[in-house]
Amino acid sequence: MFKPLFFCFSLFSLLVFPSVQAVELEVDRVKTLLNAVDDLWRGESSYAVTTMYVKTANYARTMKMEGWSKGKEKTLFRVVKPLREKGTSTLKSDNHVYTYLPKTDRTIKLTSGMMMGSWMGSHLTNDDLVKEARLEEDYTAEISFEGERDGQRIIEFTLVPKLDAAVVWGKLELTILADGHIPVVESYYDEDMVLARTIRFTDIQQLGGRLRPAVLRVVPADKPDEYTEFVYEKLSLNVKLKDGLFSLSSLKKR
Amino acid sequence: MKLNLLAWRNLWRHKRRTLITASSIAFGVLLSVTFTGAGDYFYTRMIDAGAKMGMGHITVAARDYNRAPSSQKRLQSANQHQATLRELPEVSSVIARIQGQAMFASARKSIGGTFIAIDPAQETASNNLFIQSLVEGKMLETVSDKGIVMGVDLARKLQLSLGKKVVYTTTDVNGDIVSAIARVSGLFRTGVSEVDGGLALLPLQSVQTVLGYESDEVSFIAVNLHDQRASHVLRDSLQQQAAFQDMEVLNWQQTQPDLAGMIAVDKSANKISQLLIALLISAGIINTMLMSVLERIREFGVMMALGMSPRHLFGLVMLESFWLAVTGLIIGIIITIPWYLYMFETGLDLTSAYGDDFSFGGVLLDTVFKIRLFKESVVGILIGLFSLALIAGAYPAWRASRIPPVEGLKAL
Amino acid sequence: MNLFTLASRNVYRHRHRSIVTTLAMAFACTMMIVFAALMDGFRIGSERNVVSMNTGDIQIHQPDYRDDPDIYSLIEQAGAIVEQHQQLGFYATVRLFAYGLMASDETSSGVQLRGIELETEPTVTDIDQHVMTGQWLSGDDPHGVVIGKKLSKLLDVGLGDELIFVGQTADGYMANDRFEIRGILKSVSAAIDNGGVFMSNTMLRELITLPKGAHEIVLMRHDRTTDLAAVTAQVKSRVGEQLEVMNWQQLMPIINRFIETAHLQTLIMMIFTYIAVGSVVLNAMLMSVFERIHEFGIMKAIGVKPQQLIVLIYIEMFIQTFLAVLLALGAGSVLSWYIQENGLDMSSLADGISFAGLAFDPVWYAALTSNALMMPSVFLFIIAAIAVIYPAIKVAVIQPVEAIHHQ
Repeated sequence: MFKPLFFCFSLFSLLVFPSVQAVELEVDRVKTLLNAVDDLWRGESSYAVTTMYVKTANYARTMKMEGWSKGKEKTLFRVVKPLREKGTSTLKSDNHVYTYLPKTDRTIKLTSGMMMGSWMGSHLTNDDLVKEARLEEDYTAEISFEGERDGQRIIEFTLVPKLDAAVVWGKLELTILADGHIPVVESYYDEDMVLARTIRFTDIQQLGGRLRPAVLRVVPADKPDEYTEFVYEKLSLNVKLKDGLFSLSSLKKR
Repeated sequence: MKLNLLAWRNLWRHKRRTLITASSIAFGVLLSVTFTGAGDYFYTRMIDAGAKMGMGHITVAARDYNRAPSSQKRLQSANQHQATLRELPEVSSVIARIQGQAMFASARKSIGGTFIAIDPAQETASNNLFIQSLVEGKMLETVSDKGIVMGVDLARKLQLSLGKKVVYTTTDVNGDIVSAIARVSGLFRTGVSEVDGGLALLPLQSVQTVLGYESDEVSFIAVNLHDQRASHVLRDSLQQQAAFQDMEVLNWQQTQPDLAGMIAVDKSANKISQLLIALLISAGIINTMLMSVLERIREFGVMMALGMSPRHLFGLVMLESFWLAVTGLIIGIIITIPWYLYMFETGLDLTSAYGDDFSFGGVLLDTVFKIRLFKESVVGILIGLFSLALIAGAYPAWRASRIPPVEGLKAL
Repeated sequence: MNLFTLASRNVYRHRHRSIVTTLAMAFACTMMIVFAALMDGFRIGSERNVVSMNTGDIQIHQPDYRDDPDIYSLIEQAGAIVEQHQQLGFYATVRLFAYGLMASDETSSGVQLRGIELETEPTVTDIDQHVMTGQWLSGDDPHGVVIGKKLSKLLDVGLGDELIFVGQTADGYMANDRFEIRGILKSVSAAIDNGGVFMSNTMLRELITLPKGAHEIVLMRHDRTTDLAAVTAQVKSRVGEQLEVMNWQQLMPIINRFIETAHLQTLIMMIFTYIAVGSVVLNAMLMSVFERIHEFGIMKAIGVKPQQLIVLIYIEMFIQTFLAVLLALGAGSVLSWYIQENGLDMSSLADGISFAGLAFDPVWYAALTSNALMMPSVFLFIIAAIAVIYPAIKVAVIQPVEAIHHQ
């Protein structure tokens, strides 16, 4: 549900010819592919059920949630477990993000001050949520390595932010398996090219009709003992979803 | 008999006493000049410094912006208004700005703060405190580049240095959240920790684009004057004008109420002190004059017996007070001038006592203690002391006029 | 010949002159007393403002807390430290803080929640008396909060309005609850005015799931005349190296410097004032002696010794000064006491005065300290004594014949 996942799946579906040599051709291809597949991945819509595990120095928690998306701009998450947070939902519609809090029966619109706050106590921020659909707008991608590493044949992409892109990262590196194009790891570097966080993809399964990793683990570089892990239990693409689902009123449904 | 001459001679028959009393008046002049001058200098510097920190001596803004600033409240036709304001003789500079809250984020951290979007061509060290306080790097280049100039503490907390990028997130004109990128071109240190840790300068046009403002829309226009004392009158006259009807024209007291409050209190404390000293001096004058009257009862008795009317006697003593006051003032002026010149030019450097990051009412202060007097203040002091001396002389003069000649002669 | 009797008779004989002189000196001394009381009041009031409003005498934190306020940066043994110090002559309390978002109907803003121990906080600070509208917190109303002045404007809310808090608990969940505005504070400090929300510790602990420990311990000495630096050192050694112990002067160096320099400023003012007084007294004393040179000459002629004359003059001066001081003490005390009780209300001049980020009470109280009474009185004696030296010597030295003819 977050950008790394979308991005990986976009490549997965399209990079059928892993050994294309001509760099320029490939850059063009990667670019168009990124755009096209991002659409493709999102398809018309999606539905997923995930469990999130968060472990920090101070706490460990588990949360189960459902998520829907339609096109690029509409996303809805709803917490299913634990009971104390059941019904908490986040709606992203175009550039607006709203959170519904069942305990106080209030809907809050996200303000710029909340952007860098962690989303639901995880290692991802509200900002990540908002920026996830804009990967291809913000970055220039190219293949930086192709071959064998650690006994696996992989392709590594390096994404460099465009000059005007409002992203804090210096670069992103994505490594996928050459066979099946399943993502292995995505690394985020700050401007000084120091690793800031890593996302690992594991547990390959059949999900939504395709082979893809069911587990994503986000690890901050400065606190390697902490992590946030998403486990996909269910995933369906191109399900029929009404626009009305992505409205403020539907936020409140439990 | 010329009363004037008599009065003058009477005074100088008791040289010592007259001189001592005159000295106390002279001392009063010195004190008054020092206190008032310190105040005038101090307040003007603070008001000017406050103006340079952003809002100017007079601020023209959208309605209700001052009470509750937000990006939705903007001032339109900024260029036109700026041109109008520049024409005015009292105005030294006119600056348009956009101000707002934003989150500043690096890969490591994010911190909330304030941004001020300026036109680097219009702002210089003389009207912008931050430019004056640049310690590293340089100011923004153009009005539409991607630079950002921030406080040293903000950069430190974000772990940024010159040339590094920062993403700022804020709310645009429609209430949506927008982000943009900027690279650190310079760092400033004002010494006020809230400012150094939470404020950044951005180019005006870049921010207009990010916020979705028109090229002619800003948050407010800051007007700096040559002399801050003109702000009240000018503000009133501007607000009346048709062009500014649907906007708010505010002076520095309204945009910086904390500063205004501090100055008001300080001024009162100053006045109270000066009042006390004035009372002291008048006590001295009454003392002197009364004594001189009491000891001349015989003399006055003789004069009245010879035909001088009580009224003339009253006049005589009043004239003596008058000349005493004049003498005191002249001595006062003579001793005060060198002191004033010294304090005006050089002043007392109190940096050792105050340190160099002294802020008062939210404004950063210069720690050299100087004085400076406005013409009105000078006139005020002279008149004040003069009247004081005359009033103090009134009771003794009255006493003198009430002496029955017989009593006077009896004292023989 | 009893000089004292002669002196008092002289004083009485030249009643008018004596009264005028005495009154002038009394007036000057009264002014000085009132002035000193005002200055002392300002200094004490400023310190009280800083210390009693919110800061307290001494604060204890985890070493990195002030730089980076992390809710996990707790003093675990806070309760024990508080109890220990309450036995040792301190008022003590703990505080908890959390950051998050407060949303009103109109808008939302980032806030700092300040958890207060309802029973012990009022013993340490006066913040509970600083409510502008509404009331302070109460144990019966756990969801009632008291917010800062500017925050109420930012959120566009008033008494009785509802606020929703959104934040994160210590165990990673979403902290979310409703609160009602019970009171709005007067200006305290920039931080509190703009984003402070006060609630009971019980409520805050429940809200962010932090059952034990505290972020801040605040101590106030019972006896505030002790040496703050020494007491701070004692607390530090008692509490251990792992915790940071600081007193208000270290926590707010700018305010501290301000108060010190205000002290300096008042000292300068006092000196100037004393000089002004000095000239009045000098004048009075000089006149009262010189105008009687004739009389002194006659006394000398009939055999009174020069030393005796000097003593005589000094006794006369002493009598007049003594009376003046009595009058001044009386009038000065009454005036100063009045200003001490009622204060000079400067609030018409300033709505809220702030200095270096801290709000100051706009009412100026005098403090009738022994210092304010003694210093001016002592000074008056000294000045009068000095003033009489010149004429006294002149009288002692002058030839009787000259004196008799002196004009």
